[in-house]
Amino acid sequence: MEGLLAWLVITLIKIVVILAIVLGVGAYLTLVERKVAAHIQRRPGPMVVGWHGLLQPLADGLKLLTKEDLFPRYGNRFLYNLALVMALVPATLVFAVVPFGPEFEAFGIKVKPILTDVNIGLLLVFALGSMAVFSIALAGWASNSKYALIGSMRKAGIIVSYEVVITFAVMGPIILAGTLSTYDIVQNQIDQKLWYVWLQPIAFVVYMFAMLAETGRVPFDVQEAEAELVTGFTVEYGGMKFGLFPLVEWYIEVLSLSAIAVVLFFGGWSPINIPFLGFVDPLFFLGPLSPFVWFVLKVSLLFLFVLWLHWTLPRYRIDQITETAWKVMLPLTFVNLVLTAVFAPLIWR
Amino acid sequence: MIQWIVFIFFSLLAILSAFGVVFLSNPIYVILSLLSVLVSIAGIFFVAGAELVAAIQLLIYAVAVAVFYVFVLTAVPWEKAFKKDSHYRVSGLFSFPLVLILYLEMLLVFLIGIGVSPKGELRELIKKLGNTEVVGSILFSKYFLAFELVSLVLLIGMIGAVLIGRKEGQVYEDDTP
Repeated sequence: MEGLLAWLVITLIKIVVILAIVLGVGAYLTLVERKVAAHIQRRPGPMVVGWHGLLQPLADGLKLLTKEDLFPRYGNRFLYNLALVMALVPATLVFAVVPFGPEFEAFGIKVKPILTDVNIGLLLVFALGSMAVFSIALAGWASNSKYALIGSMRKAGIIVSYEVVITFAVMGPIILAGTLSTYDIVQNQIDQKLWYVWLQPIAFVVYMFAMLAETGRVPFDVQEAEAELVTGFTVEYGGMKFGLFPLVEWYIEVLSLSAIAVVLFFGGWSPINIPFLGFVDPLFFLGPLSPFVWFVLKVSLLFLFVLWLHWTLPRYRIDQITETAWKVMLPLTFVNLVLTAVFAPLIWR
Repeated sequence: MIQWIVFIFFSLLAILSAFGVVFLSNPIYVILSLLSVLVSIAGIFFVAGAELVAAIQLLIYAVAVAVFYVFVLTAVPWEKAFKKDSHYRVSGLFSFPLVLILYLEMLLVFLIGIGVSPKGELRELIKKLGNTEVVGSILFSKYFLAFELVSLVLLIGMIGAVLIGRKEGQVYEDDTP
């Protein structure tokens, strides 16, 4: 009974911490995005609310919450609202299998900073990630609008194509690690003294493409295509309901997929790696905090990379996007898979 | 204790949603109930400790299969999509004996399967190796022939899909230049 109670308390604390971090950081990333975009385009960005616009997300939230809640005529109200829930829940659930750092001991209890270390964590990430299709299809259908429907069909087509690609892309690291548990994948990279990005550059590039496509970031943002579709499947949503979709797609999903990319290719919480030789830790003075700082550092670098692409590149057409997925990316992942399967035993024995 | 509560929760959810699949009239609600059935069955697998099967249930049934139903249905105008007008009631009645035979076969396979399944022998193996490895080692040793045959069936299915989906040469009379 004692053990059960402790387990319950620890799990509750973990859930609260993860939710607070994900949703809080998600809201504040809007400010980061606006600032980065502004400086890429040589503008100052938001400057008025707070020091250098630091309180801007709060002002935005207030504005969105107090707006009128519009609803399209002949729409389906139940599905219209259900789409919101089905967008937010799976995207946040992905963080249940993201390992934030190594196991540590607090008050005599060993704690793993991961919500559930199931031994198929990685499969769960992709299953939950592709649940986003349902929310998008429902949002487009329940709005009873042609723009929304076309936007949602485009996005659903992209997600279905790239979900296949991303699943095959991560096979390489899985073969090298020999496990599907996210925690063990990082642990194996530390034991083998190797970030898998050194052996899997193709898989990493394909993963990044698929990540941009699934989260609807430029160059794959045809689902909203302001010039032709107004804003795609979110066109009939207003106020905070409108704000939720970009929050989920652009921030929470990008964060979760970046975290998984760090886990798979950049050794999770390990410091800088020299292949096969060991790790160099310039942040050694932080002591036991250094792994967590490394993890956050890597995820934010990947996130900034995505932002940089978003505000630099133009947009692809929908047929070009799906063609790239099936004719270029998928064969590349197959080649990578075969190569990895041939060479992995040679390297580890 | 907690396992039982979660198991009963998921089973009730699965049964209720299955009723929804049969009785609801709006096809979008039917698909959503189907999704709910599939997800709650995945939940039951998780409770039973079969994590790999649960994840594959989510990945293949709840996402890959159900998505295509949604695809088809979202392309239908929603005033026309109600079940009442477009149901083949008489044909359904005639096909009932066939469905009954199918269910009887499922029951038979299930009962025979219980008789020959290894009781508790795999539990030690799962503890030692983990879920994925056990499934892999059984598939590639004991059921290797069946596994290869199934992959052959899949290959044939794929070739058929390619054949159906290929671009046909000028077959139909086409007046437009």
